[in-house]
Amino acid sequence: MSSLYSRDFIVTLIIMLIPLCLALNTDSYGQRIMTLSGIYAIAAMGYHLIFGRLGALSLAQGCFFGLGAYSAGLIGVHFGLSFLTCLLFAVIFTALVSLIIALPVLRLESHYFALATLGIAQVALLIAINWTEVTGGANGTYGIPQLDLFGVELSSSSDVLIFVWVILVIIVSLTFWIMRAPFNYQVTLLKDTPEVAASSGIDIGRWRLTFFIMSAIFGAIAGALQAYTIGVVSPATLEFQVMVSILAMTVIGGKNHPAGAVIGAILLTHLPEWFRFLETHYLIAYGAALLCTIIVAPSGIFGLFEKFIIRNPGYDVKSLPSKENKAVSDTNSTSLEIQGLSKTYGGIKALKNLNMTLTSYQIVGLVGPNGSGKSTLINIISGLQRQDEGTIELDGSFIENTASYKRSNRGIARTYQTSLRSSDLNVYQAILACSSNQHNLKHRHNQTHAILRNSRLISKTESMVGDLSTADARELDLCMALATEPKILLLDEPAAGLSSAEQQFLSTKIRHLAQSGISILIVDHSMDFLLPVVDRLICLDQGSVVAEGVPAKVLADPKALKLYFGNARS
Amino acid sequence: MIKLTKLLTIFTMIVLFPISAETKETYIPILVPITGFLSLEGTAQRNGAIQALDEASSSLKIKYEVSDTSTSPEIAVTALQRALSRGKPVAIAAPIFGTQMLAMLPIAKRAGVPLITVSGTAKLTELDNPFIFRFFPGDAVVKVAHARYVTEVLRAKRPALLYQTTAYGQSGYSHLSKALRKAGVPLVFEEALAPSVKDMLPALTKLRAAKPDVILLHLHSTPTALVIRQARNSGIELPIVAGSAMHQPSTAKLLKNHQLRGVCAETAASPISETHPELIQFTTEYKKRFQTLPDAFALAQYDGMNMVITALRSGAKTAMDIRNWLATNTFNGLAMKYKSDGKGNMGHDATIVCYDGKTKTPKITKKYLNVDGTFN
Repeated sequence: MSSLYSRDFIVTLIIMLIPLCLALNTDSYGQRIMTLSGIYAIAAMGYHLIFGRLGALSLAQGCFFGLGAYSAGLIGVHFGLSFLTCLLFAVIFTALVSLIIALPVLRLESHYFALATLGIAQVALLIAINWTEVTGGANGTYGIPQLDLFGVELSSSSDVLIFVWVILVIIVSLTFWIMRAPFNYQVTLLKDTPEVAASSGIDIGRWRLTFFIMSAIFGAIAGALQAYTIGVVSPATLEFQVMVSILAMTVIGGKNHPAGAVIGAILLTHLPEWFRFLETHYLIAYGAALLCTIIVAPSGIFGLFEKFIIRNPGYDVKSLPSKENKAVSDTNSTSLEIQGLSKTYGGIKALKNLNMTLTSYQIVGLVGPNGSGKSTLINIISGLQRQDEGTIELDGSFIENTASYKRSNRGIARTYQTSLRSSDLNVYQAILACSSNQHNLKHRHNQTHAILRNSRLISKTESMVGDLSTADARELDLCMALATEPKILLLDEPAAGLSSAEQQFLSTKIRHLAQSGISILIVDHSMDFLLPVVDRLICLDQGSVVAEGVPAKVLADPKALKLYFGNARS
Repeated sequence: MIKLTKLLTIFTMIVLFPISAETKETYIPILVPITGFLSLEGTAQRNGAIQALDEASSSLKIKYEVSDTSTSPEIAVTALQRALSRGKPVAIAAPIFGTQMLAMLPIAKRAGVPLITVSGTAKLTELDNPFIFRFFPGDAVVKVAHARYVTEVLRAKRPALLYQTTAYGQSGYSHLSKALRKAGVPLVFEEALAPSVKDMLPALTKLRAAKPDVILLHLHSTPTALVIRQARNSGIELPIVAGSAMHQPSTAKLLKNHQLRGVCAETAASPISETHPELIQFTTEYKKRFQTLPDAFALAQYDGMNMVITALRSGAKTAMDIRNWLATNTFNGLAMKYKSDGKGNMGHDATIVCYDGKTKTPKITKKYLNVDGTFN
């Protein structure tokens, strides 16, 4: 665990311990409110993972909360098992349900995902109300026994408070462990630019599934605890209001940090109690307080705290080992063979029976007018799009049906026309996020360091990615691609927006990379940049190769001249 | 740094954890839903309890405090814990919402404090909890009266029922359908509606297709008004016999007079329809104090709190004294005579009120006394 993360963990523990200690010295009511805070903090911790970290607006967290409450409560009432057994059942049951839900739902994006998860929550609510024989219907199920630990009943409110908060500490620790560096940077990359993450070797599907199930498990634990502390489980636990509360806790506390979930839960559980004396008007005061908090602290209370009190120490590159790791893997001869590649969008043929070979130490330029199929080709090679026909063979293995992240792990890296614009990562973190998962953390830090030492970004390691100039952002794109240890490097308009001097620097860098054994394919419209750097030039038109060969040969080709360079050059 | 820590501690203690109030006054918290879909009923409860406690304050030192229980059991339990931590309540005015009561009952039992409620959910008094006292006749009383009026007075043969998906709705449905089956007039149509449903036409269309001769409703206030309005607007002129929500002046306010023609409702009482001087005085005082008309829930809660006050005046000092007094004595309230049936059911009479389509004040059409035979 890095020092930054250790510090964050300690800060979070302190934030938890201060109110807990105070609550232990108050009456049973104060302890009950803190117990509820702890329970909702657990649910919000799950939501922090799926929404705060992954950016997926799941509206099923309240549903998982209710499922945990119902499954643990019903088992407790009907079979009289210990709480821990019921909790285990609730966790397994909810995890299985979330897995079944995840299979169709996780394929959806943004608001479709939100609507699908909302629909699932509504179905669960209807089942709870109408399956009267099992759930007790609208009355719910009552007579849930008190919390117990290995047969010993936790009868006092302080016992229950400590029990719940011990579970919360375990869950917070687990969250920190899951979100340790550099995985947290990978998750941030995945949240901000999923396609960049996929082409950097990050398995998006696995992360989404893991986080969705983890959030469901945390929700189930919270629900089970709630059912046992109230003694009743009713459809109210599945209502949208619970979901809204969990969402509000996560956002108000600060969705980007586990401490935010704890702060949000404590605040939003206590806030209505503070305004209770206002009787019917307390909800107005509650709403106004929440509104003020959002205006004052748009990134949440912990975000504000972090901004003004905790200075992010960042990463001291100079303190890292100075060992010069190679930025790329030792590359023997590599070849990428493309045969009969075709792709159609509706009635438009983007690629037609395209053949191409890329080999080590070679730089190939790809030119053609807009719509000629250049970006489609790069997208298909990198796995972001699927071809209709054709094969792609990398070092003797066919990869045309392989997922994007697997292609990245096998040595295909790429950059994008539009540079990465993440608000939550600095330069060092972005490169580290893309470093190969196949190495240990120390190696990955060394590798990041090595890449930075060969880059103009060495003095900007702590700069936030979103604050970089166009040239620096392009440089970062290349560094991130190099962090994946590529054998094949696909550069999509790397010189766009660069000055002549910057283009010159990039040309030199690309040549060095090619000399190290990497095969490079460059798509760019700047002929002044492209022609001097490439060994071979391919001219595309309407998805087909019009001319191919050394630049001089292509420049002399009448078809290429007419299609791309225009008559003025002929 | 030490100063900062001290300040932080003091601030947190003040803000986070309200200080318990020690007082020699008799403490009676009022925990009712004054927000959410039961706010009308909960506010009526609150007003009835406050009126009773304020009237008693000339001779008794009573401290009360209103806490919203909203519509979730969790909030109700928290409100109860809060009340228990702030003093030693001798009784608690408890919410009308049955699900909340189910969560509160074990805590009240452990604390030994009687809950005074008007909740109609039958289950509450079937759990052998000696600390519940229900001053509104339960579904075992009002739904029997409901069914008897439909079958004996209206002589309906094909009743159709729309009920709520809540605990209130499911409990009422269970008792009403059972009473109708017993009378040999089973329901020809039944459908449960969520409280959030606003468009009743789909349910009414299906209901009309079943060719009923009377429509029975067991819904909360707003859904009751919505069903009646949409039924009348779509040309359904069948007689409607609704649940107790329809007797509430606030429900009638939502409808036009002509839409109320042929509409009846079961209830424990209808204070605005009564001509007894004491009830008129109650209604006048209530209207003056709260700027609204009282309903049966307000009156039942008023009667319940007055029975507690009578127990205090009779020498009861602790919560257990009050519980014992309520469990063993008969009390002549404004709405009816109250006596525990041994399970905490205090009310045993039901009333049917009907609207004539000219005013929003219903007329008492039929009274069913001692429906469950407690006074035999």
